[in-house]
Amino acid sequence: MSTIRRFHAMDLFKFNNLNLDRYTETYDLSFYLNYLSSWPDLFTMAVSPDGTPMGYLMGKVEGKDTEWHGHVTALTVGPECRRLGLARGLMRALEDASEKIHDCYFVDLFVRPSNTVAVLMYERLGYILYRQVIDYYLGDGVMPTEYAYDMRKALPRDKDKKSVIPLKHPVTADQTIF
Amino acid sequence: MEARKLRPVYDALERSDSAQALRECERLLHKQPNLYGARALKTFILARTGRIVEALGLGQSLLDTPKALESQHVQQGLSLAYRVLNRPEEEIAVYNTALTFAPESEALYCKVFMAAARSRLFKEQHMAAVNLNKLFKDKKYVWWLVISLMLHGKHSGVDSTSSQVQLKLAERMCEKALAEGQLTTSEELRVYLEVLETLGKHEQMIDVLAANDSLAAMVVNDPDLVTQNITLLVKTGSLDKAVDAAVQTLESLDNWADYKLYMDATVLSLERANGDEEAKKAAVSAICANLRRWASVRDRARGAKLALVSLSLRLHGAGYGELANAVVGSPGELIWAYVDEFQQKAICYSDIVQFINAHVRSTSESDLDTAALEFHAESLNARLRDARDASGQGENATQAWVNLEKIRYLLQALRGETDPKAWVADIEQLLEFALTSNAARKKRPSCSDMAVIASQRIIQSAMLAYGDPSKRDELASALFKAACVLEAAIQHNGESFLLRLYSIRVYIYLSCYERAKSNYEVLNIKNIQHDTLGHLLFGQGMALGCFVSDLELCYDGVAFYDQSRSKIPREIEKVYYEGTYSNVKDFLEFQDNLSRSVQHECTHRHALRGEAFEHGSDKGILAKWREADVTSIKHTEKTLNALHDNRDVSVMGLLTPADLTQWNLELLTRATPMPGTGWIQAFSLIPQLMNYMVCADLDAIETALGELATIGSSSKSTLSTQDCVLVRGIIDIMRVYIQASNEKESVDEKLGNLVDSIHALLPSDQFDTEPDTLGMLSSLTIRNASVATELFTYALSLKHALSAQRLAAANTVGSALSQLRKSALKSINLLRGWIDKCVRSQIDEQWLRSDDELYSGITQFMLSRQKQSVDIASKACMMSWLRSVKNLLAQWEQCSL
Repeated sequence: MSTIRRFHAMDLFKFNNLNLDRYTETYDLSFYLNYLSSWPDLFTMAVSPDGTPMGYLMGKVEGKDTEWHGHVTALTVGPECRRLGLARGLMRALEDASEKIHDCYFVDLFVRPSNTVAVLMYERLGYILYRQVIDYYLGDGVMPTEYAYDMRKALPRDKDKKSVIPLKHPVTADQTIF
Repeated sequence: MEARKLRPVYDALERSDSAQALRECERLLHKQPNLYGARALKTFILARTGRIVEALGLGQSLLDTPKALESQHVQQGLSLAYRVLNRPEEEIAVYNTALTFAPESEALYCKVFMAAARSRLFKEQHMAAVNLNKLFKDKKYVWWLVISLMLHGKHSGVDSTSSQVQLKLAERMCEKALAEGQLTTSEELRVYLEVLETLGKHEQMIDVLAANDSLAAMVVNDPDLVTQNITLLVKTGSLDKAVDAAVQTLESLDNWADYKLYMDATVLSLERANGDEEAKKAAVSAICANLRRWASVRDRARGAKLALVSLSLRLHGAGYGELANAVVGSPGELIWAYVDEFQQKAICYSDIVQFINAHVRSTSESDLDTAALEFHAESLNARLRDARDASGQGENATQAWVNLEKIRYLLQALRGETDPKAWVADIEQLLEFALTSNAARKKRPSCSDMAVIASQRIIQSAMLAYGDPSKRDELASALFKAACVLEAAIQHNGESFLLRLYSIRVYIYLSCYERAKSNYEVLNIKNIQHDTLGHLLFGQGMALGCFVSDLELCYDGVAFYDQSRSKIPREIEKVYYEGTYSNVKDFLEFQDNLSRSVQHECTHRHALRGEAFEHGSDKGILAKWREADVTSIKHTEKTLNALHDNRDVSVMGLLTPADLTQWNLELLTRATPMPGTGWIQAFSLIPQLMNYMVCADLDAIETALGELATIGSSSKSTLSTQDCVLVRGIIDIMRVYIQASNEKESVDEKLGNLVDSIHALLPSDQFDTEPDTLGMLSSLTIRNASVATELFTYALSLKHALSAQRLAAANTVGSALSQLRKSALKSINLLRGWIDKCVRSQIDEQWLRSDDELYSGITQFMLSRQKQSVDIASKACMMSWLRSVKNLLAQWEQCSL
């Protein structure tokens, strides 16, 4: 049982149980506060009844014209809270906001191909592999340099589903900037 | 012209070459003393390089010359200077003066607003917003004014009548904005709601949420606003509507907050039904039916099922126990039905712990319901046996066992189990599963959890059995076994942060700083975590002889706080420009919590403390203390009470509720600073005293000394033993100084006391013949030697201070310290040799082969099945102690007299 609500700056004081994880980066303060001040409705957190953080999703909207879309910047769920459908709930909140508030064409995300559990989950949520991004993840002493999967899901505004026609060739990271 | 002249200064600033920029300013001012732009930039450079007094003086001279503010270079340079100096009032004065030359400048009015908004100057912010709203037609200024009115009304400390006036004005502006179609975003709607909430106008809030189709659509698409709407319906007593709204929401969402409101509305409706038993039964039956329906159709969603548990408990709590039992079910049975269904999920224990806790306290907060406890114990036992038997059948079965073991731990804590044996009974089974089973080899997360439970049981039992200071060796021996278990578990799953956190705590307890630090580094703690998790390690090195590496860590923390001080205000500014107004209150609270953080204060004090070990010349030491900023570290009762403790202790993953303090291992194993402000006060006074000493300010010394003595005697529960010794030593040093200040007085007696007390802290010559050498080493020896070293460095400053004031006394002090240094080097060298030669065998002899019945099973298990991990833990202890002792030696060696 959890409540999915907006993330608040004060949550930064108590999200350690989620961030002490090798796949979850703890960013500079400005990074979080910038997301909150720019896209408050796309930064959500799942909390237990006593307020313990269970997972969070940071998102944003970007792009122009038919490339206008919601983007998942970070999604993490605490070790104890996995296999509960929380990630699905957080993704649904982002998709709802991208569709109903920001009127986007699609939602996209980047994921490590080696994170097979996450890739499978996104596929189950309706995301397809749109393209591969070369050397997206830089070597940081924890993981070697790695491709990224750019996965997408079309929203109702993209009636012809043009945004999710997979590209045949990989792209470089700079080609993914909107 | 001015820009061209100032170009070299700007160029140097762009290169971050402050020295060159300053030279350029001085060159320009030498030629043209009234080049105001150069004076403003010089003010900025002085501020940035810490020459605060000069910067303030030069800045004021410009403020006193209004015509200077006509120049944009002066406006920019001076405002930046005041921002660096954290003087928002002066920054605003710069803009206000500039406005007299450009009264229609929207940019300048915005700057006034932002300078005030960044610094919580709500009155000034309000005035600036009034001006902006009056002079410039922009919708955003309406909302800036509304927010300013609200902040001013709520936080400025104005009387309640004025506050109400401000808030009502804000309300009227919101009403007008809504009527004129200027309320178009959910952020603006949130501001309006907050104004009404502050005024307690809940009915109006409901009306606003449905004021027009556009707003209603906003609410539907925003789960937070949906929940707020139901909350308001409950608050205003529209219970039927609240129930309908909650049901409608819960049909599609599974948010606990909405379940809770549904239950609130139902329980309140029962009270309203008075004697109408049928109506009560109907209401409970309706919610129960809905919850069961949702529970049956939602596979993994636990909300509805747990809501049934919660509903039954709430009905019991409200005096409808019979109705609850008849319609919903009894709390105990529902709790175990939930456990049976979800025990294979890791979250199960976290879900249910609060309800078991509430159930056993349902009759009274202070007295436990023994019948309920008994019921849970019986319910657990049979399940626990089955779960252990089934633990080889896959991850689900093992996870079930882990959850039941957690409940077993909880019930023991709730019962107040004081028998150490009961805490480690059957622990070999836990170890077997956690460390040697197939599941462990497959690195299953449940095994890491089980290792944490086993470690927690060992620590709990050790604290109960050997908490008395006279039993330090037995305690250390038990904690060493916990360290071995944790090392073994980390070998299987190095990614478990809980194993690392527990390991850090245990090693710090055993005086093994280096090993604790290596675990800390693996966790990659950074940025905001310096504030929330820094307490795990910051300052521990100062207590364990590792001064330099600890100081480096503290500098990382200080840098984080310094950067945050400039970054958060920029983000507050951005919130206004982006129109995401719902963040204003939250960002301000965040800024306040961080700037008044307990950990911020501690990190700063640790850094000041660590710098005392950086030795240079006599002049260097004296200059350090003379220039130390002792004004900003002075505390009053008001500033102490305003501190926020952001340290995250919940991350330790305790198995007991937070309010069971006697069983709270986080607290039992936490090194100082403990909760409370004694440590901060003491370590604020020490640098102040050193400053007063080198500045020969006897009056200030007397006052501060009195305060330190009071804290030393009144804060024994929040200061460690060694901290108390350090405080006494500092008092002794100051007494020697006071005595030496009077030429007629001899310092011999007080100096003798000081030297004797430091000497007593050094390792004994007979160290290796003590019966509990390891117990001594891991609890007292290194810590005491560190205090001795620290006191010696302060005593050196005493000697240097006296050299400039009373040479004869300085010579006497110098001579005594010289003798002390020789003695210290000899005894610490002996200790080093002993650790090098004997520690490994002592660990085997004293900590592993001892006939401690309590842990014999654990010892045998670890020695026979996990010898490698025992070796790793032994080596970690030995290497850490050796590192501390080598550091201590280096410190004494470099102390020149």
